[in-house]
Amino acid sequence: MNFNIESPTSKEELLNCLRNHQSGYFRLAAGFTDLLIELKKSKTEELTVINLSQIKDKQFTGIDIQPSGIRIGALVNVAQIGKNQSIRKSFPVLQQAADALASGQIREVATIGGNICQASPSGDLSCALVALKASCEILKMDGTIRHESLNDFFRGPAVTSLQKNEVLKSIVIPANQTNKLKSGFIKIGKRSAMECSIVSISYHFQLGADAAILHSGIAIGAVAPTVIFCREAADFLHKLNVNKIHETDQLKVAELIQQSASPIDDQRASAWYRNEVLFNSAKSIFEQD
Amino acid sequence: MDENLIPISFTINGEKVSKRILPSLILIDLIRDQLQLKGTKPGCLEGECGACTVLVNGSAVNSCLYMAVNIDGKEILTIEGLSSIEQPLHPIQEKMLEHGAVQCGFCTCGIVLTTKAFGEECKKEGKIPTRKEVKKSLEGHLCRCTGYVKIIDAAEDYLTHPSV
Repeated sequence: MNFNIESPTSKEELLNCLRNHQSGYFRLAAGFTDLLIELKKSKTEELTVINLSQIKDKQFTGIDIQPSGIRIGALVNVAQIGKNQSIRKSFPVLQQAADALASGQIREVATIGGNICQASPSGDLSCALVALKASCEILKMDGTIRHESLNDFFRGPAVTSLQKNEVLKSIVIPANQTNKLKSGFIKIGKRSAMECSIVSISYHFQLGADAAILHSGIAIGAVAPTVIFCREAADFLHKLNVNKIHETDQLKVAELIQQSASPIDDQRASAWYRNEVLFNSAKSIFEQD
Repeated sequence: MDENLIPISFTINGEKVSKRILPSLILIDLIRDQLQLKGTKPGCLEGECGACTVLVNGSAVNSCLYMAVNIDGKEILTIEGLSSIEQPLHPIQEKMLEHGAVQCGFCTCGIVLTTKAFGEECKKEGKIPTRKEVKKSLEGHLCRCTGYVKIIDAAEDYLTHPSV
């Protein structure tokens, strides 16, 4: 494994790096926890890696809390997300997903931007962020910003809408409109640490008076080519009392969630098993507490 | 090739070091092959086993997945940095011995360093971790000898007696 590395330290230097490499092959990396594993196995020669981790720009490295929402820089690492008090309070699903990702050592270096740009169907943060209706702020080479919902950003397994002349700058999560929440992350795997999900479900319900669900987000991971937002299930739950969801409605929600999935057989689980686990886990959302 | 070498400066086990390195050098290779500190163990080399764990600015990371260029300006602690002539073994290491948590020893250095980092974090937050939290803190380590119980016992014993 031998490659060249360029380490821009500011947004301007980064844009210059991008410009200089448009005609050749290059990769972007921040935490390197995925890229190094890939490069150790590949025989690519003449590769330049643009090392984002030395950029000192709050837009990339900070967590900015605004009344309209929270902006997380693409270089914020997973451990920071797991420990952030505002995220813990307002977006438990994201905090739980961060805590469930890989191991403590990986969380210290892996970044939210990397987790998203890998576009793994089983990406833990991706799943939570889709349920939270997050959007991407993408820096283009000419210095302008392109906005796109995270749901649209994902185009397939390991495929995003990101172009060669773009880099993910930050993620924006819209603020909750109510204070009462039911929010969580369910991760099913064969073991509880260092695991890549067999099925994951993220849910984030904002509750009004009488615990009625006013805004809901549900996303599922590892059961389709991308993380999927379960619109039908989310719509079905509108105005239902989160504490009194009748068993027939629970089954209906689980069924709607299952219908948005299209799992395949792979080394971790069969499609049949994924379907079963997805149904039962979906049903369990309203059985908890 | 030489003109491609990148200059970096860092502190390792309290000692300031400046080096010129290949751009694609990985931290574990810098530590083991160039600095001759062999206490950092190469296990799976893909971030699964935790044997290569070192502390970068106090946080436990896998040195097999960390670029050496990115330690510029940072502080590294390896297992060698825990020992001194006055105190050859760190209290965590004493606890590991006391509880019989060391068999072949390959995973031990990483576990000791992760426990140190987690201990510092608990101290900062002023909390005594539960056994469940101790287990969670060690999730990034594999041990093929002990079955983990004694390792968790040792870590818990150390972490719940913060006076040491």
